[in-house]
Amino acid sequence: MPATKQTGEPSTQGFFDELGAQHQPLLAKTTGTLRFDVTESDNLECWHITITNGDVVVSREVADADTIIRLEKSLFDEIVCGRANAMAAGLRGELALEGSPELVMRFQRLFPALVAGRTS
Amino acid sequence: MSDGVVKILEGNTFVVSDDRGDIEASMSDPTGLFSFDTRFLSRWVLSIDGERLNALSTDDLQYFETRFFLVPGTGTVYVDSQMSVIRQRAVGDGFFESLTILNHQDKAVDATVRVDADCDFADLFEVKDALEKKGKYYTSVDNGRLLLGYERGPFKRETLISASEPAQIDEHGLTFAVTIEPHGRWSTDLEVVTALLGFGDERARTKYGRGSRHAKPNMERDLEKWIADAPALECDWDSMKTTYRRSLVDLAALRFSPLTASGRSLPAAGLPWFMTMFGRDSIFTSLQSLPFAPELAATTLRELGERQGSRTDDFRDEDPGRILHEMRYGEMTAFEERPHSPYFGCADATPLYVVLLDEYERWTGDTKLVRDLEYEARAALNWIDQYADLMGNGYISYQRRNEDTGLENQCWKDSWDSISYRDGRLPGFPRATCELQGYAYDAKVRGARLARLVWNDPAFAEKLEKEAAALKRRFNRDYWVEDGEYFALALDSEGKQVDALASNNGHLLWSGIVDKSKAKAVARHLMGPRLFSGWGVRTLAEGEQRFNPIGYHVGTVWPFDNSFIAWGLRRYGFKDEAATIAAGILDAATFFEGRLPEAFGGYERTQTKYPVQYPTSCSPQAWSTGAPLLLLRTMLGLEPIGEYLAVDPALPQQIGHLELLDIPGRWGHMDAFGRGRVDVAKRTTRRKG
Repeated sequence: MPATKQTGEPSTQGFFDELGAQHQPLLAKTTGTLRFDVTESDNLECWHITITNGDVVVSREVADADTIIRLEKSLFDEIVCGRANAMAAGLRGELALEGSPELVMRFQRLFPALVAGRTS
Repeated sequence: MSDGVVKILEGNTFVVSDDRGDIEASMSDPTGLFSFDTRFLSRWVLSIDGERLNALSTDDLQYFETRFFLVPGTGTVYVDSQMSVIRQRAVGDGFFESLTILNHQDKAVDATVRVDADCDFADLFEVKDALEKKGKYYTSVDNGRLLLGYERGPFKRETLISASEPAQIDEHGLTFAVTIEPHGRWSTDLEVVTALLGFGDERARTKYGRGSRHAKPNMERDLEKWIADAPALECDWDSMKTTYRRSLVDLAALRFSPLTASGRSLPAAGLPWFMTMFGRDSIFTSLQSLPFAPELAATTLRELGERQGSRTDDFRDEDPGRILHEMRYGEMTAFEERPHSPYFGCADATPLYVVLLDEYERWTGDTKLVRDLEYEARAALNWIDQYADLMGNGYISYQRRNEDTGLENQCWKDSWDSISYRDGRLPGFPRATCELQGYAYDAKVRGARLARLVWNDPAFAEKLEKEAAALKRRFNRDYWVEDGEYFALALDSEGKQVDALASNNGHLLWSGIVDKSKAKAVARHLMGPRLFSGWGVRTLAEGEQRFNPIGYHVGTVWPFDNSFIAWGLRRYGFKDEAATIAAGILDAATFFEGRLPEAFGGYERTQTKYPVQYPTSCSPQAWSTGAPLLLLRTMLGLEPIGEYLAVDPALPQQIGHLELLDIPGRWGHMDAFGRGRVDVAKRTTRRKG
């Protein structure tokens, strides 16, 4: 039942490819849009996610979203590859949030299991 | 908590101060202003002309508002004071304090009013364990505002203090030079704002301060409505009415609204230190209060479902489908020095989640929620077999994977020595405590009912029923202590019986896992002199090596435990025995003005005459608050049967006539009546002499 199962080396691209490829039961009651604004020095990359009752469409568009989360690329990659926990990062203040926290709370459950238990 | 300590709260923000309203905390002293599990004020001391004040009286206006009446000087209350001070404080995103000084003389007076402020930004866990801080502090004074701050990397917490009257502000507080006219008054508003930076909302004002965007809620009206919505109780025994009202009011104060719940509430575990979501406590309290406030159960199910485990995480003891144990927001959780983001190390909340979902539907007929939570309920049922059977013997057992900061005992008796053999030895891990098997059995039986009724999956229902039947068969063979005629407390890692006699037997009756042929022997033990103290059933039987009448889980009597034991006795037809337990616990409540403590001493009732409270810091505790409610249900024999509410009272004599009016449920509203006929003195096997 793990949310996503990546084959081979975990990667951000791999995570999102997997995400859009199948219905996500953990989001079955969720409809909304979410955008990750991922920063690395002057660069900004966006991951825009449209959720319709568990069906997920991922794009790289800078489109409007109900909830926007801004974070650094190094952290984002860690979270998406299962090397860091998003909830703890949020409590540390490493995720700047605009919009409803509900959507993020639900979405973060899809991030993969921590690779070797705890990281810090 | 000693006398003179005043607690007020809203949500998870609360203030603990002395009876003057002052806060003088140390790293190990749990006073202060707390929010999101962080202390935002550790010093808040009022003085006039260098002199501390003296408390005349304290009024709890609401659970979130207090008024302190003070006079200058210490120990001089016999001398008529020329000045008095009123300090009124309301909590909400920090606190708002109105300070008023009255001059009772015919001449004007000059006074220096000083408020000292400081903060250590301790995490609740640090206060508990007296740990050192790792980040750095900063302080600034600007724009008429004192800012106390703490940062550790990106983690920032700030306290902003300001006043409505001109003040001289330095880094340690505020000073007001005031002149008060003859028989005049001076007043200022002090605002203390707690800020969690980078957490989405940076608050500039306290919730209930003047000019705030939140209209101060009319708590009186809110509370009246809450009580009016609950069934009305009429009873010959006045103490029962007092206890009932106390339970309803305390349950109102214990309501906690998670960020994601759109204002809906669930029961937090205890006030003030456990004002957060706990899987086990929120579920048990929701079960207890179902006939009275069923919406608590709905929110508990939704919110715990939102946070259900989705992956394997050893640090958090998380598995897919597992229901969380505890959620925290403080620094140690943020930096993963504690696993509570959330922590999942508890073995009972997951099966109990399914039990609550079914019981909720039986009362309310809300099949929509059952449909909405189908995925969560199935994941919980799957957890029982796929993730909780650590020994591969078909039983739920627990062993923490986080050996550093995880919980050793993941059942409700979670202290280190709670699970023992008769001779006092402690078993190794994993441990399969007996009540967990009862909950698993009940979850499967109830899950089957929901599968057939709502999920339209008769094949799954049949599978669950078969598994439940097999589990019951094995359990009655493997856990039954032949020479004692009761169920063992646990199976150890070798599958051998941990053979102490404990109150857990009562939970087994509640779950229905006990063979009919064995129930009588179990009931005899529960009502016998080794377990029954006269007030209630002890957690561990007298005569066991580790028995201690004031041991947390090894001899004390827990009102919550007893309410489920009474329910279990009723389930097997032991009505009078259930009434006897209800009588004992409700008698005990009269010694605490209706507010039952978490636990009291397991001394023989005839020996102490009054219940000796076990010292704990939390009061009220949610599942103690819920105990009288469940006892009422049990005594009246309230049971939803199809679209109807069955009533089959068996009340202790002392109660006299009792009516519970407007019980909400799928039937609309129903009334229940009963008259006390059970002579409780006959129902216990007392010790001779």
